[in-house]
Amino acid sequence: MVASTSTRQLWVEPWLAALPAPAGELGPVQQRGRAALARTPLPAARAEEWRFTDLSLLAQLPVASVAAAVERPLPAPQPGALRLHWNGREDPLQGVELPAGLQALTPTDLAQGLGHTLAATGCEQHWPVELNQACAERVLALRVASRQRVNLELISAAGEGLQPLRLLLLLEEKAELDLSQLVSAEAAGLHSLVVEVHLARSARLQHGLVAFGRSDAALLAHLAIEQEPESQVSLSQVVAGWGLARLEPRVVQVDGGAHTILRGLQVVDGQQIADTHSQLEFRGPEGQLDQLHKAVAAGQGRSVFNGAVRVPREAQRTNAAQLSRTLLLSDRARIDTKPELEIVADDVKCAHGATVSSLQTDELFYLQSRGIGADQAAGLLQRAFCEEVLRDLPAAARAWCPLERLLEARA
Amino acid sequence: MSSSQAVGDLVSQPYKYGFVTDIETEKIAKGLSEDVVRLISSKKEEPAFLLEFRLRAYRQWLQMQEPDWAALGYPPIDYQDVVYYAAPKQQQKKASLDEVDPKLLETFDKLGIPLSEQKRLSNVAVDAVFDSVSIATTYKEKLAEHGVIFCSISEAVKDHPELIERYLGTVVPSNDNYFAALNSAVFSDGSFVFIPKGVECPMELSTYFRINSGDTGQFERTLIVAEQGASVSYLEGCTAPMFDTNQLHAAVVELVVLEDASIKYSTVQNWYAGDENGVGGIYNFVTKRGQCRGDRSKISWTQVETGSAITWKYPSCVLQGADSVGEFYSVALTNNKQQADTGTKMIHVGPRTRSTIVSKGISAGRSANSYRGLVQIGPKAVGARNYSQCDSMLIGDQAAANTYPYIRSQQPQASVEHEASTCRISEDQLFYLQSRGIGFEEAVSMMVSGFCRDVFNQLPMEFAAEADKLLALKLEGSVG
Amino acid sequence: MIRPDAPVLLEIRDLHARVEDKAILKGVNLTIRAGEIHAVMGRNGSGKSTLSKVLAGHPAYTVTGGSVTYRGDNLLELDPEQRARIGVFLGFQYPVEIPGVSNLEFLRVATNARRTEQGHEELDTFAFEDLVRERLKVVQMDPAFLDRSVNEGFSGGEKKRNEILQMALLEPLVAILDETDSGLDIDALRIVAGGVNQLANADNATLLITHYQRLLDAITPDYVHVMAAGRILRTGGKELALELEQRGYDWVDQELAALAAEVA
Ligand SMILES: Nc1ncnc2c1ncn2[C@@H]1O[C@H](COP(=O)(O)OP(=O)(O)OP(=O)(O)O)[C@@H](O)[C@H]1O
Ligand SMILES: [Mg+2]
Repeated sequence: MVASTSTRQLWVEPWLAALPAPAGELGPVQQRGRAALARTPLPAARAEEWRFTDLSLLAQLPVASVAAAVERPLPAPQPGALRLHWNGREDPLQGVELPAGLQALTPTDLAQGLGHTLAATGCEQHWPVELNQACAERVLALRVASRQRVNLELISAAGEGLQPLRLLLLLEEKAELDLSQLVSAEAAGLHSLVVEVHLARSARLQHGLVAFGRSDAALLAHLAIEQEPESQVSLSQVVAGWGLARLEPRVVQVDGGAHTILRGLQVVDGQQIADTHSQLEFRGPEGQLDQLHKAVAAGQGRSVFNGAVRVPREAQRTNAAQLSRTLLLSDRARIDTKPELEIVADDVKCAHGATVSSLQTDELFYLQSRGIGADQAAGLLQRAFCEEVLRDLPAAARAWCPLERLLEARA
Repeated sequence: MSSSQAVGDLVSQPYKYGFVTDIETEKIAKGLSEDVVRLISSKKEEPAFLLEFRLRAYRQWLQMQEPDWAALGYPPIDYQDVVYYAAPKQQQKKASLDEVDPKLLETFDKLGIPLSEQKRLSNVAVDAVFDSVSIATTYKEKLAEHGVIFCSISEAVKDHPELIERYLGTVVPSNDNYFAALNSAVFSDGSFVFIPKGVECPMELSTYFRINSGDTGQFERTLIVAEQGASVSYLEGCTAPMFDTNQLHAAVVELVVLEDASIKYSTVQNWYAGDENGVGGIYNFVTKRGQCRGDRSKISWTQVETGSAITWKYPSCVLQGADSVGEFYSVALTNNKQQADTGTKMIHVGPRTRSTIVSKGISAGRSANSYRGLVQIGPKAVGARNYSQCDSMLIGDQAAANTYPYIRSQQPQASVEHEASTCRISEDQLFYLQSRGIGFEEAVSMMVSGFCRDVFNQLPMEFAAEADKLLALKLEGSVG
Repeated sequence: MIRPDAPVLLEIRDLHARVEDKAILKGVNLTIRAGEIHAVMGRNGSGKSTLSKVLAGHPAYTVTGGSVTYRGDNLLELDPEQRARIGVFLGFQYPVEIPGVSNLEFLRVATNARRTEQGHEELDTFAFEDLVRERLKVVQMDPAFLDRSVNEGFSGGEKKRNEILQMALLEPLVAILDETDSGLDIDALRIVAGGVNQLANADNATLLITHYQRLLDAITPDYVHVMAAGRILRTGGKELALELEQRGYDWVDQELAALAAEVA
């Protein structure tokens, strides 16, 4: 396509050429990513998965190495939590004493583990992943030891430029991890996040990603999760204010029997685009999914949701529920929602639902009839709408007060 | 044997309409070219505008790419290996039924569609289409008394060219999609219905399509126009013999509904589905679309899809008029290696337009049954509403049920609601019915038709029982 | 009503059954004659519902030993629908919901299946409507329930009344009512009990599974059996139920222990 080649010429090729030679522990990965980007054109609307998501903003973003940001003040870390400042360039573990149960991966483990979950969830060749591979210089690679419980906070607040973040987490049997992650764009730039998590039997992960952007910033995030039986994952993303945000949470229950909770909240206004493509695949029996995706679209914002749930033959007695709810607040905003349910097993419970509407007039009226002003009533209802997702964030992420900033992002 | 296995066995049933009528047929040579398009047009003695329409479509088709749908698998079709025109010999359309070849009447008798005066259905007018031509239309005169035109499209071209010219191709443009373009170039016959202003059609209209030849493509064209305040209920039925090759069926149906008018369009599709290994069967690639052009107009599609090797069809409603209403009620049953990709598009353009979608998919054997739907709310559709419900029933653990409901909205003062669920016939439900003395087969068929009830309720009364029976037939078999 | 000369309707001999790999019934013996009302009581999980489902032929349960004869014929070799047609009725503890299947249609098909077996002619829709309206009175049910799907969205008590309505239509010879009293309010209990009494006669028999004396106050049993660990541990008259109400089931453990010792 014309648009994609020109966009590519505009920045991908010169950018690739300007990158420092592949080096360090990720040298081979960088090589691979660069080769892939040089080969593959930028995804274009022709491809079904990118139909509604225009990537032309990327060409306008500064993609030099990220500058440090003036950080907003954050509440103190949760008691017992380890807070790391992470920008993908410096080693966030430098001079940090890791709590009991948390270890950095050895080079051998890293070599074995890196890319495994991306492959298992079928996204190792996705363009945003290759982009991350092409430029990420470091990977934050951690192991939570068996039966240990760790509370981790990752803060990635960045100034202008490109921030490539790559995270690899291995949770051993019965390990538990609360992970609160903040990605915040304080200036124009591109933020690329690739997360891989492997959960052994009976491990538990509660992950909350809170991402605040600006209209001149983009976020491309892949969250790839592999779950062994009896493990539990709760994965929540709250994104607001990005010129372009594309999130791909992809979960595989390798032998079924695991429990997955997916939560998503997108807030778009102005000319922003938020696009979530989630996928859950059950590769064994008795898996569970509980998914709720919400979006608030105002201004000329555009919200895209595509939720795939795949239940192959071996996944008998799967129980999956997906619900997508969108609030359309302006007559120039747009939403595109597409659940995708693929089932080849007869003894399963799979339900999904979708609603699109504005605020309910009778709810508004009820509040107004109690003396609450129309704007305030609308605010209250929007808040309540968002709250259903926010309350499933891990404690630290919740404490970052996303609701206030969310509504701020809307204003 | 587990009950789910037994249920699976039940769904396998021999096809009852697989016979071939031995009748001399006039066919043109295989293959498609501009000359073939001209030949078809001249055989039908068509006016120039129609030949132009066909040629334009043919040229567009040449430029188009055959769609390549991920979810449907079939070997490439050789479009030069298809006969584009076949008609039973001697068949200039006969003035009276007595002159129609008795073999043809017999064929339709055997299919349960008696055409002769004595036996024909009392409140249903039938247009019987055999391969590429309409061989008889009943009750024409009676309908004419009310100003209703019901005839084959070829006759309409001769008798009412101005109506054809005004409406043909206005709902489904000839370049709409690959198969619509092909149809527009070579369409053979089909039905034409015109209900004038203010007339409520006094009886059900129905067209019965029968494919007989093995190498002939079927390209029917149906056009129904309901003028201001008019209403009609129309039903189509389809069967074909069993061949071990695949036949292409690419029909186009266009509905035009003006102010306060309504069309109810029902389909009971039972084309030959191929054998249990997927050999043979019809490729049913159909474009059906209706436009609610006037305010308060209404289109209701009801379909019971049980046949065909592959079905690809999305009867759609373009809701232009304010307060217009679109409905889609569908039952799709697939078994063995059948593939069905069906659903609807509800395009809300006008204010306060409403649409309802109820889809019931039943997948058995190794079949794949997909619901694919689009609900689109345009920026002017203030106060529009849609409600969709898509339920799948799975029989056995090798059948696939997929649901792809697209929702696109640009209008905050509109609401869209979609629900989908999956179920199977549970052992406990079966046991409950059995423990009240109801036999296994009957229990299964009660539950399947219970599952489809919301859709069957929408069929014209005369056909609701038929549909139920058809499903029961599909479910008939040995209980192991 | 006990009549020693009344014909035996149901004869259960040393019945063993399992579900999946779990043995649940471990030697049940029970003889039911025409005209009798039996009550089976026992702790949760003692196997009462299992017994009733085995008698009705539920496919999940496998009989591993013993025999059941119904009016002298082997009951166990029959399909569930055949058992129903010849007069064995099970009122379920948890009646399932069957969305989409109309209650009226279901009742008609079931009734006609039973009638055909009995050599009566089938009832057409009109005749059946008359019959069902008459039988509705037995359970004082609103005819509106006929137009709904089988049990769908029925309250607990409404489901149980629907069960008795089915019994009233099918006129079984042996009716097994599994906790038909649970979930009923006081009025409904009276109605259901009244229905059961009304339908009981000298030619048929009833097997009530219950936990509560209050049902037995309304329907007087001729025999009361106590089930424990998959067999009938003790049989007595209606006083046994009163005794259970006072003493609970603790004594069961002692007797089971004694039994185990005996075996050892
Ligand atoms: N399908 C099944 N799978 C596994 N266990 C079962 C199954 N059905 C019954 N059981 C077990 O068999 C035992 C007997 O169950 P049953 O339902 O017969 O008890 P019950 O006497 O009717 O109890 P209640 O008074 O609670 O109704 C219980 O331990 C129960 O858990
Ligand atoms: Mg019980």
